[in-house]
Amino acid sequence: MKRRDYIIFAVLLGLAIAYPWINPPRYLLASVLLMFCYATVVSQWNLVFGLAGIFSLGQVAIFASGSYITAILGRYLEWSLWYTFPVAGVGGVFFSLLIGLACLRLRGIYVALLTLAVSQMMFILIQTDAMCSALNKKVNPATCVSFTGGAQGLGDFGSFGWRDVFGGRNWIIGDYYTMLVLLVIALIFTFIVTNSRIGLAFMALRDNEELARSRGISQFKYQLLVFAMSAFLTAVAGSFYAAHFGSVGTDLMGFALLLFLISMLVVGGIGRPWGPLLGAFLLMAADEVFKEASDWRNVGLGIVVLIFMVFLPEGLAGALDKLWNRGIQLVTGRLQSGGTRADGE
Amino acid sequence: MSNGDTQPLLACRNVFKYFGGLAAVNDFDLDVYSGDVIGIGGPNGAGKTTFLDVISGINPATSGEILLDGIPIANKKADVICHLGISRTFQLNAGFESMSIRENTLVGASFGRGDKGWFPRMIYSKEMHERVERALELCHLQDRAELIVRDLPVLDRKLLLMAGALATEPKLLLIDEPVGGLNPHEVDDVMEIVQGLIAEGVTIILIEHVMRFLLQLSERVVIMHHGEKIYEGDSKGLLSDRKVVEVYLGEGTADRLQHMMAERA
Amino acid sequence: MDFFVQIIVSGLTFGSMYALAAVGLALVWGAFNMLNMSHGIIMTLGAYFALLWAELLGWPLILAAPFSLVCGGLVGAIVYFLSAHWMIKQKNFEVTIIIATFGLGMAIESGLLKFLREMFRTAPYSQPLSLGAKSFLIFDVPVSYQRLVIWTAAFVLITIVGIFLRRTSVGRAIRATAQDRNAARLMGVPVRRVYVLVLAIASGLAAVSGIMLSSFKDVHPLMGGDPMLKAFIVIVLAGLGNITGALYAALLVGLVEASVKVLLADKYGFTAILILVILALIWKPSGIFGRATVARQ
Repeated sequence: MKRRDYIIFAVLLGLAIAYPWINPPRYLLASVLLMFCYATVVSQWNLVFGLAGIFSLGQVAIFASGSYITAILGRYLEWSLWYTFPVAGVGGVFFSLLIGLACLRLRGIYVALLTLAVSQMMFILIQTDAMCSALNKKVNPATCVSFTGGAQGLGDFGSFGWRDVFGGRNWIIGDYYTMLVLLVIALIFTFIVTNSRIGLAFMALRDNEELARSRGISQFKYQLLVFAMSAFLTAVAGSFYAAHFGSVGTDLMGFALLLFLISMLVVGGIGRPWGPLLGAFLLMAADEVFKEASDWRNVGLGIVVLIFMVFLPEGLAGALDKLWNRGIQLVTGRLQSGGTRADGE
Repeated sequence: MSNGDTQPLLACRNVFKYFGGLAAVNDFDLDVYSGDVIGIGGPNGAGKTTFLDVISGINPATSGEILLDGIPIANKKADVICHLGISRTFQLNAGFESMSIRENTLVGASFGRGDKGWFPRMIYSKEMHERVERALELCHLQDRAELIVRDLPVLDRKLLLMAGALATEPKLLLIDEPVGGLNPHEVDDVMEIVQGLIAEGVTIILIEHVMRFLLQLSERVVIMHHGEKIYEGDSKGLLSDRKVVEVYLGEGTADRLQHMMAERA
Repeated sequence: MDFFVQIIVSGLTFGSMYALAAVGLALVWGAFNMLNMSHGIIMTLGAYFALLWAELLGWPLILAAPFSLVCGGLVGAIVYFLSAHWMIKQKNFEVTIIIATFGLGMAIESGLLKFLREMFRTAPYSQPLSLGAKSFLIFDVPVSYQRLVIWTAAFVLITIVGIFLRRTSVGRAIRATAQDRNAARLMGVPVRRVYVLVLAIASGLAAVSGIMLSSFKDVHPLMGGDPMLKAFIVIVLAGLGNITGALYAALLVGLVEASVKVLLADKYGFTAILILVILALIWKPSGIFGRATVARQ
């Protein structure tokens, strides 16, 4: 992290805070706050994938588990959603620890396959859940809804409650700032972890596991740690997502969202500190553009992902970093002795 | 020095390591006392590196007993063995590619002495940074500390591995082929550094094919062949040992080395 | 007895279709560690190629399947040149190729949907190669002729692939590449051509498998997704790259799925094999039919 990065962070934060005051169209405000939510998820994914080098696809399932915990607690126990957020976070951590334990002996591609199987399993279990639940008779006696809501999803569990504070039209601004706070916390958390002693262990295991182990790093402990640490904010982002939309559904575990989020990671730059933010911005922007030609949305996204994987596997942040360094070389007129860093600071 | 009265720092008894039906390490015994410098030589595939893998827990022994300060370590994991005081380098030019030399060394300094608790500390202590500086100094790397590993030449990678191992302040340092692939001038550089370590009193087990390096540094030499120990003793005896000359050195090399040793004496 | 026969008949049918799809995946992984996430859409396209040949062009039905096989192979080659060809030297090829073919597959799938919506209709078509419900009885259980055709076709195709791999020089080149890429290259095997060829073979088989699938469930743009996942499950169970194992695993998956569907309920079929693969990955990642030498890395 250089001074440049702090300045970028401050400027972006200022822009984000100021944005609602220029009276943007409502749908854009909604898109930007969704981008904050996705960027939070992707920044945590980046810890697992980029920093620790573990190719887990389970983050989306953890995100979904956060949403469902909030929805179920809010709907059946009528908790205020604000109480459900930490519970969702902790629930996500436990879920992620389970996944991490299952993955302990696996490497590389096998981790991806196992985590994919786990999230598919979750998808199918909820999708096929059609047993009418007595709890739902209390909410609405006329209908048959299963405990998890099955393929229809769940609703009626409340919201952030900003409608009462800001009035009927401006509640979305409340949601916007809530999501922004979450993203800022996520970015600071990521920054601290990356530059801490624990982050060094993650990177060491990623770069050379055998060497890391013989330097005293327990693969067992740190793999579980990275699964746990990256899960809390992911699950909380999931519950914020539920609170914002007021409903949850199985599309949270579907391939479309998985691809969309992993595209953000890839397009932004795996393992780059600014990658998740760049990726989330770019893909949400592309999404807005392709929305005009709604049918072409997935075609466009698919091609964008393909092109990035083929030509820019280091992502936009990687490419920009190279450009920046080359620029500095041109300005100072001397060759840098070090070369660029792939990650970390 | 070998001394019957005291307990050996490292004691290996009847150590076997099988890969399928092949005994890569076959009924191996070895005592290492504090302050010893032991050189292990032998043809390719003799099981030297496998033996280091066994001691350091990378690839645990099939059977046998390994004691470090009287504590059995044969079934312990690599990270625990490192905490107990054995640290090693690797033959291949391993390293944490995306990190700088300083960070590479910091890994050893910060995790090598132990790493307690389920939620380990996040911040480096002053001692950790001091260990890094000391290790870099011993390996003559201070001036290049900020370079990224993936851009380093072979010599620096070898030294880097040694610095990382030293930063754990080991009781026993295992060095695997520190000069393989280096030119004679670079070999002398490494030799000087290892001599520095010996002067510091570090206990060392050394594997090397470059016999001049091995013989000049070690007080005791062990020659392995097909996983078995075929010779253990001083370097003079080595050069006149029939079996060693037969399976490993060859007459020519043995003569040349004898001349070299004579010149030095 | 009825249940038993029903399970065997249904399990063998699923198994044959999964085997056709999975053998190709295993072959491709073996040759150059690529997991092709656009495999599913190629299965779908295979069904559409048969439809195109028989319905739109009205050409003889008997040649629809070979036509689909060839077209599938071409699509496979195109997939290679759009993705793997440029990426094979990347450091994390195994991972990046998954994401890339994932994107490519989604682009093709959505493009197909769009195209069909504009030009025709997206609603399911029935597969012209389907023989309908005509059947004969085994122990009072009706077995359709369709199933008989599927078993035969799968058996013949896999046998041909097996003979090709064992007896021809090209097949030997493929097996050499699978065993050791660098050694094969040094011995003069044109590995790049092997990659294309292997992906083309895999995709051709996938296309035929797609026709079989659609003969039960109609032709639909999204039909390839689930079967692809099951084919992945098969090769993971077998141990990645283990081709013979993939055949057994395909039958196993087919039989497990059929038993659960017959004895419990339709919807638990997929869940059961997901549990199977999760347990297999946790306890024996090298595959339940894998040899101990298969590396987990």
